[in-house]
Amino acid sequence: MSKILLEVKNLSMHYDTLEGNVEAVKNVSFNVNSGESFGLVGESGCGKTSVAMTLLQLQPENSIITEGSIKLDGKELVGLSENDLRKVRWDSISIVFQGAMNAWNPVIKIGEQIREAMREHYPQNSKQENINKINELFRMVGLDESISERFPHELSGGMKQRAVIALALSCDPKIIIADEPTTALDVVIQDQILNEIKKVQNLLGLSLIYISHDIAVIAEMTDKIAVMYAGSIVEMGPTKNVFTSPKHSYTRALLDSTPSIKGEKKKLRSLDGEPPSLIDKIDGCSFAPRCPDREISCNPTEHMSLIEIEPDHYVDVCSQGKI
Amino acid sequence: MLVYTIKRFFEMIIVFFLFLIISYLLFNAIPGNAFSSLLLNPLLPPETYQRTIETFGLDKPLFERIQLYIINFFKGDFGYSYIYYPRTPIELIAERLPRTLMLFSIVNVIAFYTGFLVGKILAWRRGSKSETWITIGSVFSYTVFYPWFALMMLWFFGYKMGWFPLGKFLVPEKWYDSPYSSDEIFYTLILFTTVTSVFLFLIFIFTRNIESLQSRRNSRFVGLIILFIISAIYWSNGEASLQRFYAADIAYHMILPTFTVTLVAFAGTALLTRTTMMEVLKDDYILTARAKGLSQKRIRDRHAARTALLPVVTSFIFTIITIIDGSVLTESIFSWPGMGQLILEAVTREDIPLAMASFSFIGILALIAHFIADISYAFLDPRIRVKVEN
Repeated sequence: MSKILLEVKNLSMHYDTLEGNVEAVKNVSFNVNSGESFGLVGESGCGKTSVAMTLLQLQPENSIITEGSIKLDGKELVGLSENDLRKVRWDSISIVFQGAMNAWNPVIKIGEQIREAMREHYPQNSKQENINKINELFRMVGLDESISERFPHELSGGMKQRAVIALALSCDPKIIIADEPTTALDVVIQDQILNEIKKVQNLLGLSLIYISHDIAVIAEMTDKIAVMYAGSIVEMGPTKNVFTSPKHSYTRALLDSTPSIKGEKKKLRSLDGEPPSLIDKIDGCSFAPRCPDREISCNPTEHMSLIEIEPDHYVDVCSQGKI
Repeated sequence: MLVYTIKRFFEMIIVFFLFLIISYLLFNAIPGNAFSSLLLNPLLPPETYQRTIETFGLDKPLFERIQLYIINFFKGDFGYSYIYYPRTPIELIAERLPRTLMLFSIVNVIAFYTGFLVGKILAWRRGSKSETWITIGSVFSYTVFYPWFALMMLWFFGYKMGWFPLGKFLVPEKWYDSPYSSDEIFYTLILFTTVTSVFLFLIFIFTRNIESLQSRRNSRFVGLIILFIISAIYWSNGEASLQRFYAADIAYHMILPTFTVTLVAFAGTALLTRTTMMEVLKDDYILTARAKGLSQKRIRDRHAARTALLPVVTSFIFTIITIIDGSVLTESIFSWPGMGQLILEAVTREDIPLAMASFSFIGILALIAHFIADISYAFLDPRIRVKVEN
C-alpha cells in the first residue's frame, strides 16, 4: 500500500464579501497517495479551484479558512508563515493553472521564468545545470529547446500549456495540481496535453490532482475521483466504481449529461434549476432542491457528511435512503 | 530593430523640418519686424547690420527667407545676438545649454527613479495608512501651482532656514581669485557625472547574468563601493583637488532647484505607476509567480513593476518635454543662468536671432527625447519588438 502524501481534513473556507460570507469550501476531506492521480469534478463555481488554491495557500486575501488541516507529507500547511510556504510551493507542490495563456509574464523569456523558480529552490545550481534541466523537461513535454529563448507571445496556446507543464515539473514536486489545464485549448491539442501529463506522471511517479468540469477527461486521467457540489464533496471513490455504479443522484446526473460515442443513442438529461447561491447558509442537503430522486426516502435536512458504503467508496449520507 | 530605428530616425528628420518652418513662420508673425529692432539697437555697427540683412535675406520674399534660414541653420549661422552683441546665439547656447541639461537630466533621473519606486510601493501596500497619506501628498505635489510652490521652497529653505543659497549659479566672492572659469569647472562636473552614470550602468549590465541572486546583489554592492572609492581618489588628487572647492560651490547651488523640480515631477510618475501596477497585480502571472515560491520583493520588482513600467515610460517622455519648457519658470525663480532664462530674455527684448536659435535647440532636444522614448519602448516590450521586426 502506498503511503498518504496529501491529507486534507475537514477543510472549510469562505470568502468575506460585501454581500456576506461565500461558503466556497465546506468540510472537505480527501487523501492523495503518492503516485496516485486524484480527480475533482463538479460544475463551475462549486469550489474546485478554491480547493486547489487553498492547497497551495494561494487563496485571495478575503478568504478565511475557518477550520481543517492540509497535511503535505506530514507537514501542516494551514497557518504556515509566508516564508515557510515559499519553500513548500513549487518544491513539493506545484500547479498548472486554468489559463495557461496568462500564466506567463509577457515581458520575460520562458526559460528565464522557469529558471527563476529553480534559482529560488536550488540556489546552489549553476546556470548551465538549470539550462540542461529545462532542456530535458522540454524534451519530455515535446517542446523544442529553443523555446527557452522565446517570449510568451511568440508561442501558440498548446506550446504555452506544454511549457507550463515543464514549469510545474521544474523543481521536482511530489504532487502537481492541474486546474482545468485544457479548458482554453481545442480538442486535438487537449488530447495531446492530457497524454503528456499522464506520460510525465507515470515517468516521474508523481501524484496528480486533476480538476475539471469535464467528467470524461477525469475518467481518462484519474484513479480516484471526488464529485463536488456547492462546496462539498458528495461522492468519492475509485474512478471505476464511481463510473460504473454512481451512488449519488448528482453524480448520476453528471454522467447522464455527457454524451457517449459507443452504445445506444439516448437523450441527454439535464438538471433543472441552478446551483444554490453559496452566500446563503444551506441547512442540510444542498442538492435537495434540484434532486431528481427526491421522492425516494432521504432526509434533506440532515447535514452533509460522507459515509463509506463500499471499501474506499464514500457517498453523502443524505442519499443513503437510495441505497 | 535596426530597420525600425532608421525608420523612426527619418520620421524625426521630417518632423524637424516641419518644426523649423512652422517656428520661422510664427516668428515672422510677430508684430513689428527685425529691421526695427536692428535699427533701434545702438550696439550693432553698420557692417553687421548689412551682413544680417544679407544672410537672412530680410529684404527678400518669405519663401526665400525660409530657404535661407534652413540653409543657415545647417551652417550653424544664426547671425548675431542683438542684446549680447558681439556674441553669436550659438556661443550663448553652448554656454547655457549644458547648465540646463545638467540640472534637468539629474532631476529627470531622480524624479523617474523615485516616482517609480514610490508608485510600486504604494500599489503593493494598497489600503494601508501610509499608502493613503503618500498618495494624498503626491496628488498635492502633482497639482500644486508650480511657481508658488517654488517660491515657497525658496522662502523656506533659502531664507527662513538659510540652508541653501537664494538662487544663482555660484557665489561670486569665492571665484574672484579662481584660476578656473566657471564653465571649465562645470564641464568637469558634467564629465564626472556622465562617467559615473556610465559606470553605474555598466555595473548593472555586467552583473545581470550572475545566476545566484545573493552573489548578484553582493557584486553590485562591491561595484558601487569601488566606484565610490575611485571618485573619492579622483577628487583628492592632482588638479581635481584644486577644482573641488569650486565644483562644490556649483553643486551646492544645484541642490534646491533639483529638489524642488523633483518633488513636482516625481508625483506624476508615482501616481501613474500606482495605477498601472494595481492593474498588473490582478494578472494571472502574478499568481504563478507566487505559486513558484518567489519572494514578495522579487514578485513586486521583477514581475509586477517590470510590466507596469511600459505605460509609465511613455508618459514620462512627455513629462521630460514639459520639464524642458518649464525650465523658463524654474530658472527665472532660482536665477539659474540656463536656456530658460536665455529664452525669456531673448523673447522679452525681441532678440529674434537668439530666440529662434534657442527654440530650435529646444525643439531638437524634444525630438531626441521622443526618439529615445520610441526606441526604449521597443526595447522594454518584446511584444512591440516583434511587431517592429515584421
